[in-house]
Amino acid sequence: MSGFRIARGGLIDRSANLNFKFDGKSFTGHQGDTLASALIANGVHLMGRSFKYHRPRGVISAGASEPNALVELREGARREANTRATIVELYDGLTAQSQNRWPSLENDFLAINSLASSIFVAGFYYKTFMWPKSFWEKIYEPLIRKAAGLGTASKEADPDTYEKAYAHCDLLVIGSGPSGLMAARTAARSGARVILADEGSALGGSLLFENEEIDGTTGSTFAQAVISELASMPNVTLMPRTTIFGWFDGNIFGGLERVNDHVAVPPPFEPRQRYWRVHAKRAVLAAGAEERPLVFGGNDVPGVMLASAMRHYANRYGAAAGKSISVFTNNASAQRTAVDLQAHGINIAAVVDTRKNGKIINVKGGKSVKSVSLADGSHFECDAVAMSGGWSPIVNLMCHRGAKPIWNETIAAFTPPDMGSQFTAIGSASGKMLLSECLRGGIAAGTFKGKTPPTPKCRDEAFAIQPFWWVKESTGKAFIDYQNDATAKDLPLANREGYGHVELAKRYTTTGMATDQGKLGNVNAIAILAEAAGKSISEMGTTTFRPMYTPVSFGAFAGPFTGHHFQPVRKTPLHEWCVEQGAVFVETGLWMRSSWFPKAGEDWLTSASREVKATRANVGLCDVSTLGKIDIQGKDAGTFLDKIYCNTFSTLSIGKARYGLMLREDGVVFDDGTTSRLADDHYLMTTTTANAARVMSHIEFCHQALWPEMDVQYVSVTEQWAQMAIAGPKSRATLQKIVDSFTLNDETTPYLVAKDITILGGLTARLFRISFSGEHAYELAVPADHGNMVARAIMQAGQEFGIVPYGVEALSIMRIEKGHVAGGELNGTTTAGDLGLGKMMSTKKDFIGRMMATREGMVDAARQCVVGIKPVDKTMKIRSGGHLLNQNDKPSMANDQGYICSVAWSPMLNMWLGLALLSNGRARHGEVVKVFDGLRGHHYLGEICDPVHFDPKNERLHA
Amino acid sequence: MLRTSALQSVAIQGRFGADKGQPGLMLSVVHPLAIAMVIARKGKSKVLKDALATLKSVNVLWAGPDQYYVQSTVKSETALYIELKTKLANIASVTDQSHGRVTIRISGPKARAVLAKGTPIDLYTEEFPVGKSALTQMAHVGVHLTRTGNDEFTLSVFRGFSESFWEWLTSQSAEFGYQVG
Amino acid sequence: MLIPCPHCGTRPVEEFTFLGDATVIRPTSLEPSSMDDWMDYVYLRDNPRGNYAEYVQHSGGCRAWLVVTRNTGTHEVHSAVAAKAMKAKP
Ligand SMILES: [Zn+2]
Repeated sequence: MSGFRIARGGLIDRSANLNFKFDGKSFTGHQGDTLASALIANGVHLMGRSFKYHRPRGVISAGASEPNALVELREGARREANTRATIVELYDGLTAQSQNRWPSLENDFLAINSLASSIFVAGFYYKTFMWPKSFWEKIYEPLIRKAAGLGTASKEADPDTYEKAYAHCDLLVIGSGPSGLMAARTAARSGARVILADEGSALGGSLLFENEEIDGTTGSTFAQAVISELASMPNVTLMPRTTIFGWFDGNIFGGLERVNDHVAVPPPFEPRQRYWRVHAKRAVLAAGAEERPLVFGGNDVPGVMLASAMRHYANRYGAAAGKSISVFTNNASAQRTAVDLQAHGINIAAVVDTRKNGKIINVKGGKSVKSVSLADGSHFECDAVAMSGGWSPIVNLMCHRGAKPIWNETIAAFTPPDMGSQFTAIGSASGKMLLSECLRGGIAAGTFKGKTPPTPKCRDEAFAIQPFWWVKESTGKAFIDYQNDATAKDLPLANREGYGHVELAKRYTTTGMATDQGKLGNVNAIAILAEAAGKSISEMGTTTFRPMYTPVSFGAFAGPFTGHHFQPVRKTPLHEWCVEQGAVFVETGLWMRSSWFPKAGEDWLTSASREVKATRANVGLCDVSTLGKIDIQGKDAGTFLDKIYCNTFSTLSIGKARYGLMLREDGVVFDDGTTSRLADDHYLMTTTTANAARVMSHIEFCHQALWPEMDVQYVSVTEQWAQMAIAGPKSRATLQKIVDSFTLNDETTPYLVAKDITILGGLTARLFRISFSGEHAYELAVPADHGNMVARAIMQAGQEFGIVPYGVEALSIMRIEKGHVAGGELNGTTTAGDLGLGKMMSTKKDFIGRMMATREGMVDAARQCVVGIKPVDKTMKIRSGGHLLNQNDKPSMANDQGYICSVAWSPMLNMWLGLALLSNGRARHGEVVKVFDGLRGHHYLGEICDPVHFDPKNERLHA
Repeated sequence: MLRTSALQSVAIQGRFGADKGQPGLMLSVVHPLAIAMVIARKGKSKVLKDALATLKSVNVLWAGPDQYYVQSTVKSETALYIELKTKLANIASVTDQSHGRVTIRISGPKARAVLAKGTPIDLYTEEFPVGKSALTQMAHVGVHLTRTGNDEFTLSVFRGFSESFWEWLTSQSAEFGYQVG
Repeated sequence: MLIPCPHCGTRPVEEFTFLGDATVIRPTSLEPSSMDDWMDYVYLRDNPRGNYAEYVQHSGGCRAWLVVTRNTGTHEVHSAVAAKAMKAKP
């Protein structure tokens, strides 16, 4: 290893020493270093092992495209796999481990794969692990999984937080090199709202490391001045450490801000990363260009690097890759590396230029470069190789919505497609390789109105390239895709075996996959594949570019919505009272509903059974606030409800409630509930808890899209009211104690009354005499802020009668005892007839679902309809989901006649009861059927009966 | 009768989050507040607009096409409801929503930065001036958002979501330091 | 994708709920002979590549039902009109 820290220069703070550990060994770097630059400065070139052959690998690039130097950053719960050392900012106390090696980076057992490399050719996995088929799951896959994969994810919960945020601007500038800075400054000076985003920790792009001269000063000084000006402007947002990773419909860009990846632990209350959605009126791509490797023998030996990366490390970080360097290039730009390194006192061993027919056929050295061999037979000792295969504009974002880039012969690269004025490319991202073109393009792109300002003066470095792709005379392995260990020979092989289409070749050779997605290798691969296929590069084309440009953590996409915050929690106005009463809650949609109210030592069934018995014996109080409530008003409110419900509401008397059933347009039952008429032009609808939002949306649709001529208004009042069911023989006596100045009896409050009253000395309330439990019962609604207070008052009033709170479990038991249909039966497959409610469908009017409900199949007598079911052996437990078969049929789904929808233990009848759907069921009351539970692998006998198991004459309701 | 705020037990007064000098924002629950939803009857959009303009001691906030929230901090919810029912008879449908919605005021130099973590709406002054209301979603909860000052907004959500929403809002405010008043 | 709600301004697609084809017209006849029309109305849908008018609700905003016309091939949104305004009989 012969990298070292150059004595002076660069943008690092040499007075700030930072200690860090790589593979357990301690090193020191400086503020401003990346992990990669600090390792190079410490003489460490070997940073990883390759994926397939486990070859020793060093750093290739100085940025996001890095395929080799992937490390596991940090430890424990904060460990992050596949992190590119080239973009990891060094901080004091940083720890990183190399990956894909065992037992150590220096001695990797699986490097034996390299010796067996002739069997690891392209398509190896497909060819080798095909047979025998039974081996795949048990032997091959685990083996491959163990050998493959790069870093290991931490299995502990991530202790850090992530955020999401939106941003808006007139102009989004992606990349802060010379073109980006000029676009941002020009636009900002004209008053536009500008966001300047760059993936780097410092803004400036190539000006941070290239030796440029602009307006008589150095590139980095010029950049600093522009950035300071932008930072002072209120209409500018600077976003360093922010990768714009995707371009989406509507000119929306996805961005990942690494807010606190550059420190060991984020400061209190700060997120680690923030996922941005940037809505840009206009955007410019100023992401620059990516240098390409050359494809030659040993081009993966640690110490072989991109020429621009080598001068980047030297100029910006003062980190020299070696003491003696060979340069291998097919274009003029690598000359800058030779010049810059020489200026740093580094020896240039050789400059090998394919334009002068120079070719390196092999790099000697295992874990570091020793020498290079040329095609002409000459050898040069050196400890690092700088290579340049040309430059590829970073077109990715502009291709994220499906367009393909365009091959440009002059610069031998793909350039961005024309995507219109909303998103344009400038500078080298658009294939402009001269600094003056970059500055000028940036200014033009940033000009919103008026004359284009003048371009700063600068020195241009000539750019000339003669395409050259592959040194075929290479004696060592010549890699195309470093991360996937795809070699140049794999592509002609893919073509020979019939996988010559660029998308097929990608899958066959794995070129362009994994974390770097072929940022360095793809163009070389396409060129070599094109040659093998006898096509032009343009004809061969590229694979598909998709977001994300670089990997984005799941944490960032999840944002703060994890664990308890995965979805919002919805609490009823009686939540506090329920908690006081010891409720156990159940999630119903987003709602937290009180499920049962156990006393010490009670399990759910004991508790729910006690609640049922106490309610049926005396009185119970249940929170039913979650039922959907929709206020419906307007001159045509009644006519409108006649369209929505299959039964009629326009004839309902004021002050009365009616059970309503609504269908979908296909004739299947949608929802049910009680709707009351409060005034001539005013109704209050209730819906089931589960369908409340859907019914609201349905009503809005029916009015706005189907019958907009109707005068009807609707608004959800679910949250306005705390609603309580007071049920049981003592419900009237209990309520009597809290209502103001009137006597509750069958005259003032008959069954199905709905009236505005006051309680507790003047509090507004709505009283309904309705029942889901089958008991004499009421529902009382009070404004939500008063809910807990009123519930406490009712409990106090009912104390002398033995009042209990009851939850949805008890409610469910009681409705099954009474044969009332609910979610299990209103399951999106049943008709009104199936539910025994066929007579509710009016024949005198049009309503949603009317016509389709009359179809032959919807009225077939053999349809499954609701019946009651109980076990023949009354000590047996029955479960929902069991299928119903004729008593003597074989237990098989082939003999299926229906199934059990809902079951409950009935504390009133002391046995398990259920509701089921059974073919032609109403004619089969009394029949014994076979209940087949295929899931649990058993069957037993059940008796079909009327769904109303308890109090069949409804005597309790009117008691 | 004294009303109990849905956020009574969670919106505790005090200073929370990061301590970087002055708090970045202030949060408070606007309670008690009388709110009525007013929706124009068919063909009465213009008449309703004019009628609403004559009302005293109320705020009229846009809340959808031909829909408004009429709010008052001085009238009781019943008084407001009855007044509107009377004055807007045959012009609009009126529904009391005073208890159904929880209103939170957010103000301070970082108010916009916090809201940007929730809403896709551009809150830039020229796009979203003082007095403007919008219906949007934040943290998966429907929000009625009103700009009441340069750095001051009110957020109104369904009562049942208010606690969950408050948790989200305060967690997103914490990095700037916030004061609950 | 952005949808220009006529009531709320331009909002991202996540605030909206798509229902489907807005060109189908609910039959008015309740005669058995009209069953074919009803079947078409309830079940039969085109799946065009190109411009498509759909019912979309601004469920995360003003809750209005809109008719949104977009190109299914390019995702370009051409217009968003309130269903009520579009369907209202003069
Ligand atoms: Zn809208």
